[in-house]
Amino acid sequence: MSINFLFHKDTVINITMNRSNTNFVSKIILFSGLFLALNPVVAEDKPLNIYAVNYPVKFFAESIAGDHASVTLPMPADIDPAFWEPKAEDVAGLQKADMILLNGANYAKWLPKVSLPLFKLVNTSSEFRDAYISLNEGVTHNHGTGGKHSHTGTAFTTWLDFSLAEKQAKSVFKALSRKQPKLNAGFVQNFIPLQKALLELDVQLTEIGNALNGQALLGSHPVYQYLRNRYKLNLESVHWEPEEAPTEEQWNTLKALVAKHPAKWMLWEGVPVAETVTKLEELGIKSIVFSPVSNLPETGDFLSIMNENIARLKTISN
Amino acid sequence: MIDSFYLAWRYIVFNRVKTITLVLCISLISFLPFSLKILLKESEHQLMSRAITTPLLVGAKGNSLDLVMNSLYFSKEKPDFISMKAVEKVMDSYLALPIPLYTRFHARKYPIVGTTVDYFEFRQHNIADGRSFAMLGEAVIGVGVATQLNLKVGDSLLSSPENLFDLAGVYPLKMTVTGILKKTNSVDDKAVFVDLKTTWVIQGLGHGHQDVKTIQDKSDVLSRSDKLVTTSTKIKQYTEINLDNLDSFHFHGDPSIYPLTAIIAIPQDDKSATILRGRYLSEQKNKQIVRPKRVIEDLLGNIFQIKEFIDAVVFIVAIAMVLAIFLVFSLSFRLRQKEINTILHLGCSRGTVVQLIVAEIFIIAIFSGLLCFSSLLVLQNFQGEIVHKLFIS
Repeated sequence: MSINFLFHKDTVINITMNRSNTNFVSKIILFSGLFLALNPVVAEDKPLNIYAVNYPVKFFAESIAGDHASVTLPMPADIDPAFWEPKAEDVAGLQKADMILLNGANYAKWLPKVSLPLFKLVNTSSEFRDAYISLNEGVTHNHGTGGKHSHTGTAFTTWLDFSLAEKQAKSVFKALSRKQPKLNAGFVQNFIPLQKALLELDVQLTEIGNALNGQALLGSHPVYQYLRNRYKLNLESVHWEPEEAPTEEQWNTLKALVAKHPAKWMLWEGVPVAETVTKLEELGIKSIVFSPVSNLPETGDFLSIMNENIARLKTISN
Repeated sequence: MIDSFYLAWRYIVFNRVKTITLVLCISLISFLPFSLKILLKESEHQLMSRAITTPLLVGAKGNSLDLVMNSLYFSKEKPDFISMKAVEKVMDSYLALPIPLYTRFHARKYPIVGTTVDYFEFRQHNIADGRSFAMLGEAVIGVGVATQLNLKVGDSLLSSPENLFDLAGVYPLKMTVTGILKKTNSVDDKAVFVDLKTTWVIQGLGHGHQDVKTIQDKSDVLSRSDKLVTTSTKIKQYTEINLDNLDSFHFHGDPSIYPLTAIIAIPQDDKSATILRGRYLSEQKNKQIVRPKRVIEDLLGNIFQIKEFIDAVVFIVAIAMVLAIFLVFSLSFRLRQKEINTILHLGCSRGTVVQLIVAEIFIIAIFSGLLCFSSLLVLQNFQGEIVHKLFIS
């Protein structure tokens, strides 16, 4: 239903700060001072105060910055970060950050409703704006405490395409290097293994996608668009929640979908309730979890959870 | 000598109309050049202080003075609008940091400045009470606005309609005051600062309304399908943004074409500024980039040319006035010939007569000087506001 027209234009500052090239004695010293005041290079002994809009971006920042940054995910662990509704005090915290890492692709729906410092925003996906996937329709729904929402506009789980996730990590690396140029060598050292791990995941999923060879799959929620496109998965999604039993109407929608898309597996964001699993199995559909891990996981980290996801997906292809 | 002053004083008091006229004439002619100097010095100070600290301004092609005056001093002359794309353009240049400005609307008589929180850091403004704006619909006000409108943190302020006769226009927005700036001794003291997006809500580009899915009144719904609900304009729109309805606020259309009046661009260094300026000169057909300092220097150059002309006029008038005063005195002495003869017959010397006349002139000069000085003091007290009204607003 095209009711909620939400907009978001993530912004990014990629100003190259090269202090050695800056003539501090020139008459422009005032403007350079202003520039530095607004976009300061933080002292290297002081950890950067970074805010991230979701867990994958937080993970990238923590992996690259190590002890040189304190990365905060400001929303509670039990809600979808994309649909978080911050309070003024949350925004005040964000305004004090040294850097705010955005996911881009219309991810954080709360951004148009808050006031954040433009200079501190880093859109980690701005480099591949052209690769954003547009969505034409969506149904307004709600789950958890995140309030009503729809998935119209732009698909935002960009990190499920690991080639894009690598670009996002690179964007975080560049932003950190600009902020603390003297720590660049350490950041490079941390970034290389992360980059390698992400590209390895990309290779594994590409192989799985090839092995699946167009086998019909179902997604419990419309969050797998980038995964589907990158790895050539023949996947159609419904709007179900793992923790809620689907309504009769939702079952009917699924049956209609399965009639033209005979899938045997459904990918879930989290572990679905047993009742749903049983009922799906009666329809000949098995369930596996492929968590996008948008929010802080209870155990493990981004890479370990993605490896688990891939291992489960591999069982289908086998 | 004291006797001469006493007699002169008695004479002056007796001829008070003539004396007052003379005092006023002398005061006025002395006041004019000094007052002009004070006002021009203040205008130079006011205009240059902000221009110097604002490196570059990007705006629509047209009158650069309007662009600078609107962006720096929130004057009523509005330049043509540019779009948010221009902000991206500056950012993507990697040469400068942009601060967008949208200064189209007013709350009562005070300008609403739509910007980002970076503006306060850029101008080095601190919040005296409360906090910066954080959510849509929140405002930070200058200390002058707070004093004049008796507003404190938590109070509300309504945006004013652009046109009183625009009955079909957008609703005024009730903004919540979340902070009051410390005194800045600039036009920011008399401005209302909101997030850029709030100004777009005021304009009607973004709005909040009741959930169209739950509308009970069928006359509010023009058509309804699974994916689209079309409502009539009767639908209840929110005129205040609060926690209860914040979620319903949304924007229509492509935000990259949303309007701005200007962008403050803060270049990394002199070289970046030059490159950025060069790009606008060669590439941008409908935008301009200006150095406010240069524009204000040109303006002040014109003002000082006018001042020189006024100084010349004042000088000629002053000569005429001195001649007139000389005439008044000489005619007065001719009329007072009998009085002077009486003084001489009483045994006073000619020197005493001269002393009397000098004392009279001295007293008149002292009064004129005092009046001129006190007028200048009053002018100095209000010079800021006078200059703002004369040269800025």
